[in-house]
Amino acid sequence: MESVFSAIEKLGPAGLVLRAILGSLLGIFLLVGFIVLRRWYRARYFRRRSERTVALRARWDEIVSGKIPPTDWRFDPLDCDIVESILLDNIEMSAPDGLPPLLNCLRVSGLLDMLIYEARTAHSWKQRTALLALGRTRAREAIPALVAGLDSRSAETRIAAIRALGRTAITEAAIPILDRIVDGQLDAPERSVKNSLANCCRSNPEILVRYLEQARGPVRELLARVLAELASPGLGEELLVLAADALPEVRASAARALGNTNTSYTLPALHSLANDPEWFVRLRAVVALGEIENVGKIRILLRSLCDANRHVRQRAAWVLARMEPQLEQILDDVVATNDDYALQSFISELERSGAIENIAGLIAGSGEGSVQTTLREVVERAKKSVELSGKAVAVAAGAH
Amino acid sequence: MRFLAISNAILFIYYVFSNVIYLGLLIVAISRNVRHHHRLGNFRFELIKASPFTPPITLIVPAHNEERSIVSSVGALLGLDYPALEVIVVNDGSSDATVDKLQKAYDLRTARILYIADIATAPVRAIYRSPLEPRLFVLDKQGAGCKADAINAGINAATSPYVCVVDADSILERESLVRIMVGVLSDPDRVVAVGGIVRVLNGSRIVNNQIEQVRLPKRPIEVLQVIEYLRAFLVGREGWATFNMLPIISGAFGIFRRDLVKQVGGFRTHAVGEDLDLVIRMHRHLLEEHLPYHINFIPDPTCWTEVPTDLKSLARQRARWHKGLIDALWPNRDMLFRARYGRVGWLVLPYMWIFEFLAPVIELVGYITIVLAMVLGVLSRAFFMQFLLFGYAFATLISIGSVLLEEMTVRRYSDWREVARLLLYCLFEHFPYRQMTMVWRLQGLWQYLRGDLQWGAMKRVGISADPSG
Repeated sequence: MESVFSAIEKLGPAGLVLRAILGSLLGIFLLVGFIVLRRWYRARYFRRRSERTVALRARWDEIVSGKIPPTDWRFDPLDCDIVESILLDNIEMSAPDGLPPLLNCLRVSGLLDMLIYEARTAHSWKQRTALLALGRTRAREAIPALVAGLDSRSAETRIAAIRALGRTAITEAAIPILDRIVDGQLDAPERSVKNSLANCCRSNPEILVRYLEQARGPVRELLARVLAELASPGLGEELLVLAADALPEVRASAARALGNTNTSYTLPALHSLANDPEWFVRLRAVVALGEIENVGKIRILLRSLCDANRHVRQRAAWVLARMEPQLEQILDDVVATNDDYALQSFISELERSGAIENIAGLIAGSGEGSVQTTLREVVERAKKSVELSGKAVAVAAGAH
Repeated sequence: MRFLAISNAILFIYYVFSNVIYLGLLIVAISRNVRHHHRLGNFRFELIKASPFTPPITLIVPAHNEERSIVSSVGALLGLDYPALEVIVVNDGSSDATVDKLQKAYDLRTARILYIADIATAPVRAIYRSPLEPRLFVLDKQGAGCKADAINAGINAATSPYVCVVDADSILERESLVRIMVGVLSDPDRVVAVGGIVRVLNGSRIVNNQIEQVRLPKRPIEVLQVIEYLRAFLVGREGWATFNMLPIISGAFGIFRRDLVKQVGGFRTHAVGEDLDLVIRMHRHLLEEHLPYHINFIPDPTCWTEVPTDLKSLARQRARWHKGLIDALWPNRDMLFRARYGRVGWLVLPYMWIFEFLAPVIELVGYITIVLAMVLGVLSRAFFMQFLLFGYAFATLISIGSVLLEEMTVRRYSDWREVARLLLYCLFEHFPYRQMTMVWRLQGLWQYLRGDLQWGAMKRVGISADPSG
């Protein structure tokens, strides 16, 4: 048999180009044909799908209750696909008491078993689609198949399994994820893990505390971050332990969590975190202080307003400028700090919130000489602060 | 005679290589697209939006004399569907009422915020914030005569881990940020930048700064640009991104990790093609530091932009793009064929030098020598005609391939007639449009060699409510 090269050589350059032309023309016809056929097929498919959706929707209650036997729709691929997608959408949106009939329909029709089978045996995107659909069912019997996906060699399948477990929103679904991350056996993006854990542990955040005790390093930070989103007053002393953690990220998460728990220990704990050596922990503490209702926080915030870090200062100013009834007193206290940057941040936030006009009106109306002096002083200091910041910009800009 | 024969042989090889590479990119792009669509099928955007762990994004909008559209543009950006958004408008020394318009619309007030120029920029005159819209910041800075400086000022002021640069005259689709973040969230540790697709706005119906109906423009020159954009993004960028060799993320729409942009010194001031320049420097930095990374392209997050409607503006734009290309390639020429720069140094940069930067020169030489060879009898007339026909047919095949990719990804042209028109124009893209582009690119090369690095103004029709109006 002659080689490809000798065949090409025989053709000569002109013959080769001629064939290339024919090849290109054939390619053009195939592509155009594919585009036209695809358009025609899609139009036909979606028209049929719409018609079948209308027909199935008209008999939806009977389908769910089982009055229409599953054999009527289950073995028609299009009908089955439509019913499955409507069922899954309904399950996602339904209240707990509406869930049993929908799950029952999934079970009786064999759709759930089919999804479990596909999640276990299919490959590539088909497996991932089955995993995610299975997660949406929120059925407990789906959990083992989803857990099997966590051990897949494919990173995408592992991520799909994690997301699917999260979609179940069942606390038990979090345990296999927690076991694996604490043992360092789960290689997956942090965000997917955090989202899943947050969904699964929402009704029972205490489970995270148990795993936090065993976790070290980045895993500990991750768990603390999830816990911060789910924290409730019931967590109590666990949060105080985290607030004293050696890892700054964990302390920052503790501060975030404390913002959701306005209890007797919240203010002292946030006070301590607002003096943390790490600026982002202090920032988190200030943000959390903004979320709790307690006038005792003003003293802590005034201190944060004089923080060395500008983000902390700005955030403290933002919180203070929104404490409407106490603003006059706060302004006096800020002036008393003798800190130009603090004053600048506070005035800026007052201007932005529009409160500066109210304050000016209040002070002018009070007629007190000393307060008028204070206001004048404030304006002078603010002007000076602007000059200072202008200099800082110029210095930082360097070449300019 | 011998020279002509050698020259023709070289051109033949050049041409075959260029087409084979593009065909390879088309095949890779189609397969990547199919995979991306399967992945998207399992993605629920509302979950990203609802998640407390979705990273915030700062949109940086450099604005220079944009008084006509700035308020509606900012309104549209603030209306984007993303849970944690900050919009920083950088007024780059506008001589019109850009800031005044914003001030009126958003009741802007001076904010005494300490602005630290980590990346050196022209001085910032004032920072404004709005009591009505806490997510909006306006930086009023002295003009430095370049967009890069304005973007750098925005990066200095940004507080989010990711920054997205958007042109003030472009329109982002409402879900575009969530969609582009799919590219980041799939592997946040490695993905440092993601580009979305930029598409031609001309002809579409716009309501409240959002695309109401996508339509093809009427003028042939604009339709040809539609095909060109589709090919460049859906074939070129998609293909290169598959192998982590994406050389450019469009300045009109791309998302970057802020800390990394700062590490590489931000956008290069006075760079003509600042977007290309930044991405090449990011590759350089990450490869030198031996850090694992991926620069990604996602085909469905869409930014709509107005393209030139007249030949003069188009010529200026293409000349500028070519200047930008040279301006980014030349300072990074030391990356060529160096082991430490891996596939970027061995494949994509040589490709850009040979098949992008030198393309107009080689094409011009090719036209001259082939015609000479034919006249002098070195090349048979029949072979020449056949070769010409092949070149035309093959290039058309690639253009139709990009229309197919559009059909497979977002399928924004829903009307049969629009698709038929697009396919029809694929037949005209390679003659005489391609030759005109070659001349404009040669002009750009000439201007660069002369030291003319001006941007040149583009005549804009403006975003109208009704394209037929």
